[in-house]
Amino acid sequence: MSDRTLPDEFEDINEAVSEEWVSETTPYERVRHVIAHTYESVSVDAIADDARTSPKTARKHLNALANEGFVVTATGKHGGTTYRRSPESLVVEQAADILEQVSTDELTTRIAEMRDQLSSYQSEYGVDSPEELAVEQTNQALSESASAQRDIDAETIQEWQTLRRNLAFANAALSIANAQRFVDGDRHLTDGSVPA
Amino acid sequence: MGETPATTEDHSLRGPIDRPALITIRDLVDEAEPLATPQLDDFLNPSVLAVSLDDGLCGATSARIDVQWTTQADYKFHYTDSKDVNFRWGKHPHDGDYISVSDLEHYHPPPDASSNPDDVEDSCIKQSPEELVTRAVLKLWRVAYRTDSYAPLNAGSNPP
Repeated sequence: MSDRTLPDEFEDINEAVSEEWVSETTPYERVRHVIAHTYESVSVDAIADDARTSPKTARKHLNALANEGFVVTATGKHGGTTYRRSPESLVVEQAADILEQVSTDELTTRIAEMRDQLSSYQSEYGVDSPEELAVEQTNQALSESASAQRDIDAETIQEWQTLRRNLAFANAALSIANAQRFVDGDRHLTDGSVPA
Repeated sequence: MGETPATTEDHSLRGPIDRPALITIRDLVDEAEPLATPQLDDFLNPSVLAVSLDDGLCGATSARIDVQWTTQADYKFHYTDSKDVNFRWGKHPHDGDYISVSDLEHYHPPPDASSNPDDVEDSCIKQSPEELVTRAVLKLWRVAYRTDSYAPLNAGSNPP
């Protein structure tokens, strides 16, 4: 598509990489790619713009992706349909990715470690969630008198939020692995064990 | 090559680090750049995607780009190398501190990825999808590598 110029020559980096992307992918692939990590509802125009396609084409693919459960729809402020990635489909995808790489034994160990880490955040800061910690942080900044308290930094809040989200993916992976053991009749017969 | 960026800044990325996005970026880098080896710091609970480069810019013998990407699509792509040169493309709120930066996307220039408001530049990378941002970073790095210069990293164009 960009035969006019040599690969290393470009007027604008944004145009150059867009042209490459468009030449290597279909509109469906780009729409799927953009919506895959769009976690807050957006309009079809926003998706079409990012996916370098028309709103009409984007809508067609988004509706197909909604039918297969990859996308969830809602009604926006002005009555139009909005789209975002289905959290359920994201969880299942991440769980499958984890199970390809990690054994259930290792997963069990790591989940225990991650739970311990989550508990230690709660006991260290005396709050149940990173959102509460963010409120504390604001209060601390406003009062300026919290010399006895630990300084709460944005990094801790982010680490806590990240841990909680990734623990959810790991838990889903382990649940699926365990469920499969008992649903898969052939394997159940050969390993001879009885579920507790 | 320092374990942590030589210069830090007060601003932070919004939202948790997005494992799904880091995995997409990892696979894209792996496919697109022969000199790069991308690896999550922790497969289950990653905070950063470390992209090791077999060669560096302007005489450095090795380098690394640390990638962070959040659920709100804020990001940092931080380059550091064996000559201790650092620079970074970022997208996140900065409370208007970066006076030359019109929006969220900005560039902390080499040699020390300065966060001084007078030094931080508007970024040439303007698009949002991680596919396009990653492709842009790799392309800018490639051009800088071939021309043996830091200048193209935020120029956004490479005329014949």
